[in-house]
Amino acid sequence: MSATGSDYSADRSRVLLENAVILHRRAYRETSLLLDVFSAGWGRLRVLAKGAKRSRNDQSRLLQPFVPLRLSWAGRGELPVLTGAEPDGATIGLDGTALFCGLYMNELLLHLLPPHDPHPGVFAFYLESLRRLASDSCRERILRFFEIFLLEEIGYGLSLEREAQGREIDPLKSYSYIPDHGLVETDERGMDSVQGSTLLGLQRQALESSNELQEAKRLMRRVIHHHLNGRALKSRDLFKPLGKVLSA
Amino acid sequence: MLQTGVLAQLIRALRCLPGIGPKSAQRMAFHLLQRDRQGARYLAESLLAALDKIGHCAECRTLTEGELCPICANPKRDRTLLCVVETPAEVYAIDQATGFKGVFFVLNGRLSPLDGIGPDELRLDILEKRFRSGEVKEAILATNTTVEGEATAHYIHEMARQLGVRTTRIAYGMPFGGELEYVDGNTLAHAFNGRKDF
Repeated sequence: MSATGSDYSADRSRVLLENAVILHRRAYRETSLLLDVFSAGWGRLRVLAKGAKRSRNDQSRLLQPFVPLRLSWAGRGELPVLTGAEPDGATIGLDGTALFCGLYMNELLLHLLPPHDPHPGVFAFYLESLRRLASDSCRERILRFFEIFLLEEIGYGLSLEREAQGREIDPLKSYSYIPDHGLVETDERGMDSVQGSTLLGLQRQALESSNELQEAKRLMRRVIHHHLNGRALKSRDLFKPLGKVLSA
Repeated sequence: MLQTGVLAQLIRALRCLPGIGPKSAQRMAFHLLQRDRQGARYLAESLLAALDKIGHCAECRTLTEGELCPICANPKRDRTLLCVVETPAEVYAIDQATGFKGVFFVLNGRLSPLDGIGPDELRLDILEKRFRSGEVKEAILATNTTVEGEATAHYIHEMARQLGVRTTRIAYGMPFGGELEYVDGNTLAHAFNGRKDF
């Protein structure tokens, strides 16, 4: 799908070799693919890859999630058309649970990141997180820091140093999260409460104990649930069987 | 003139076939009506019969006429070997190409959370039941090597592991008769990392 001379001249809305990754792809008609692309300079957008599934065209194999790419596309309209794709470095080899985590991050980006809104910081952090997922065993920590970073960048940042009244978070006290309000000190230590030390750990990107990781997960789950307006994240279901089958 | 009536309806109907646009549909309709009316009747009857009779195999969920598909009904097949594939077409592909003597399980899809398809939508509980019955000794995960196919394979592997069923994954790497220089980087990396003792 290289650019031919004719469509070079007229089109001003032409993006060349942009750093990008594919978040999701789905079949479109018989031989084409609809790609949800996350690019460094253009944010999230949908691009049509015409004829990518034809057998003599091996673009289909390249146009997969978790492959750092250089993409070119053209078109001003709703649906720009892919005009070129090249790999940009090695594929990030995610397997097993790391792959589920990657899918979860992609789903978060698809639902939280507004389209056509460039977030080069998120893009870089996303790639970095994927690479760490591929090598690091503490995936929960990677996911939590990605969630915090993403929310911060798109303006849903959670104040982790101060509670709703503006007082500094005390590592020894318990807090609970109230949507649109923030963190409020609480006496109860239950499913909904978070230890101050966990909040500060999230802030400093230093979560240590399994208890802190558990609390951070529950907190971020509630925060994200709120920002998704109750929409469920399907990729979370992938993590379920591990407990479910055993107890069934 | 073509916008109404039975002829227009036929042209619209033919467009449900993959790769058939308005022009091709029109050509097909005229061909059937002018040159091959007998063939057209045969096609119509076959379509109706297929729709009425073909359903999913009770065991493996592939497309079949009877309660069980010929493979599941065959007593010579090794029922301790279960090959998990995404589509019925893959059952035929593997059966014809490999001489595999076990039985199949067709997922009729793959895990694709971003399309809203999770373990529940894919009805993986049916496969879980099969594993629980204790009959399966080895599950061969022959899902595609796409991101979704890999995720599906890993999910089933975890399920099987907890139920004490051994799983194997089909190998991937160099295509048969392929030349190194022309193989894409991802495939080559997989082939290289998955090298075997010679």
